[in-house]
Amino acid sequence: MSALFLAARNLLRQRRRSILLGAVVAFGFAAFALAGGFIAQTFEALKEGTIRSVGHIQVVDRRALKGAEETTLEHGLVSATRARTIAAGVPGVDAVLPRIEFVGLATNGARSVPYLGVGVDPQPEAAATAVRELVVAGTYLQADGLDGVVLGTGLASSLGVKTGQSVTLLATTPDGSLNAVDAVVVGLADVRIKELNDRYLVGGVGLIWRLLQSPEVVSKLVVFLEPNADEAIVARRLTESLNAAGYPVATRNWRELAVFYGQVKLLYVGIFGFVGGVLVVIVILAAAIVMTMAVTERTREIGTLRALGTRPAAVRRMFLAEALLIALAGCAAGALVALAARAVLNASGIILPPPPGATHGMPINVRLYPLAYAAGLLAMVGTMTAAAYFPARRAARVPIVEALSHV
Amino acid sequence: MTVADPGAQVSGSVGSGERSPSVGSAPLLAARKLTRSYRLGASVVPALRDLSIEILEGEFVAIQGPSGSGKTTLLNLLGLLDRPDGGTLHVGGEDVHALSENARSDLRRDRFGFVFQTFNLIPVLSARENVAYPMALAGVPADRQRQRSEELLAAVGLSEKSGVRPDLLSGGQRQRVAIARALANSPAVVLADEPTANLDSVTAEEILDLMRDLNTGRGVAFLFATHDPRVVSRAKRVVSLQDGRTVSDERRP
Repeated sequence: MSALFLAARNLLRQRRRSILLGAVVAFGFAAFALAGGFIAQTFEALKEGTIRSVGHIQVVDRRALKGAEETTLEHGLVSATRARTIAAGVPGVDAVLPRIEFVGLATNGARSVPYLGVGVDPQPEAAATAVRELVVAGTYLQADGLDGVVLGTGLASSLGVKTGQSVTLLATTPDGSLNAVDAVVVGLADVRIKELNDRYLVGGVGLIWRLLQSPEVVSKLVVFLEPNADEAIVARRLTESLNAAGYPVATRNWRELAVFYGQVKLLYVGIFGFVGGVLVVIVILAAAIVMTMAVTERTREIGTLRALGTRPAAVRRMFLAEALLIALAGCAAGALVALAARAVLNASGIILPPPPGATHGMPINVRLYPLAYAAGLLAMVGTMTAAAYFPARRAARVPIVEALSHV
Repeated sequence: MTVADPGAQVSGSVGSGERSPSVGSAPLLAARKLTRSYRLGASVVPALRDLSIEILEGEFVAIQGPSGSGKTTLLNLLGLLDRPDGGTLHVGGEDVHALSENARSDLRRDRFGFVFQTFNLIPVLSARENVAYPMALAGVPADRQRQRSEELLAAVGLSEKSGVRPDLLSGGQRQRVAIARALANSPAVVLADEPTANLDSVTAEEILDLMRDLNTGRGVAFLFATHDPRVVSRAKRVVSLQDGRTVSDERRP
């Protein structure tokens, strides 16, 4: 006649109370499982968005790691096309995109507005990133070598230009002189971060090289990996291959580049951690109340068990076993609730607001995240055991004579 | 410490014995100068004052006295349910003063049976499971527990009720189950605190006859704390208490 046997019988005796406490546990477990799945989805989306923006790995000249550029492309990679070809040949690399980062002035002839410019290879860029989704008027850059540019809607508004109209771009070349080229606005992009949207300009590398008078020089190579490629191994091979070819390069992975990702992740973990903490406290309080009531109501019975020769530890085990059984049953019910709620939510088509730093909302898609289920089980079992421990200890310590005379 | 052998031969008849039916000479329990006081508000109320008593094998002893005379306190101390403030207690020759809580639990399980005024059956267990519980504590195999529980329930006339929960039994039936449970581990002595107080007179007579038969048939010592003259009239030894002291100790032929 084990502690679990007696515990099960006692739980069945107090059926209504057991069901209520089990429901609290089930709710707590389902909240853990659903929140875990939601967090996993959010982190996944955030990670995906970050990687689509900055790539898995960026290859830069070593000097770029030591400080900011004082002149345009001071730390640029020369012979970029050759470097890009070498990088693309490294196993595990899916795409290599050149990027030129610079600043300048855009003018419509009457008004000049500063911009933050990016030079890209349009077609691979559009294929590997989500940049095309930002375009709200006109089109994205069609091919390199043309004079098209895409402006942030804020910048376009400041300049008073629309798609199809011309702007003149001014920028400082690496040798310090000022150069200008004419470009055609082919599209407008809504970057959704206002400060960036007011300064955003992107053009093909051919146009930007002409503007900066620096052919074959780029700020960096943005590398996208094949699925399941090992980031560290590819980064090492990229460095080795390019160094061997005479490029003094270093690499940075997306985590190092996207400080924002880490901060948002911390924020989410903080928020959900707090909510989870509140949840655990609620379950602890509910369980502690119920277990204390059970011990008080069964004091005489405890006295009888002790009189018959039950050791104190066995009494304690009996109450802890009750908590464990409720936790397990509650988690089983909670898993069913979580699965059902997940199915309903995922079928609902609800669009969530974009997470910090993202440009678009995403349809809710609560993932089945086994780790969240395991964490929920651990949390509920731990919580119930902790909540039952002190009442159980009290039950084990109550003097027998006092317990037998308890009314 | 040895575990009592609940595997000893038992038949459906109350009269078949596990111990010698005669009263032995070695004291099962030997208490010397027991004292026990209780705090009642600001004052301390003495319940037992230097009380000494010996209980021998196979005795059928009634401890009587007015309320507050110390009957229940004495029973609690002799049954290791409570600890005295002073004095010594030997169970089977062993001084129990220094025993740990676990050792006292084991000693209660193996050497004592308890019958309470309010029956004190475990409500979630059937009659048979209640009887089996002390055996489960002693590590008796499950099939042997079942067999012996059925035999003990038959011995107290409750074969038909073995699967019934206590709340569906009458007071007399509950007390019979409690008696069967008290005998589960073949104890040396059964301590019964007012076992007839909650029973009607006919049932009380039946219960007392049953216990008397178990005493003579199995040689189990019975020690009652009681007000009930029917218990006293059946006892072979009557100890009278007053104000925590023994005022008389009468053995009957």
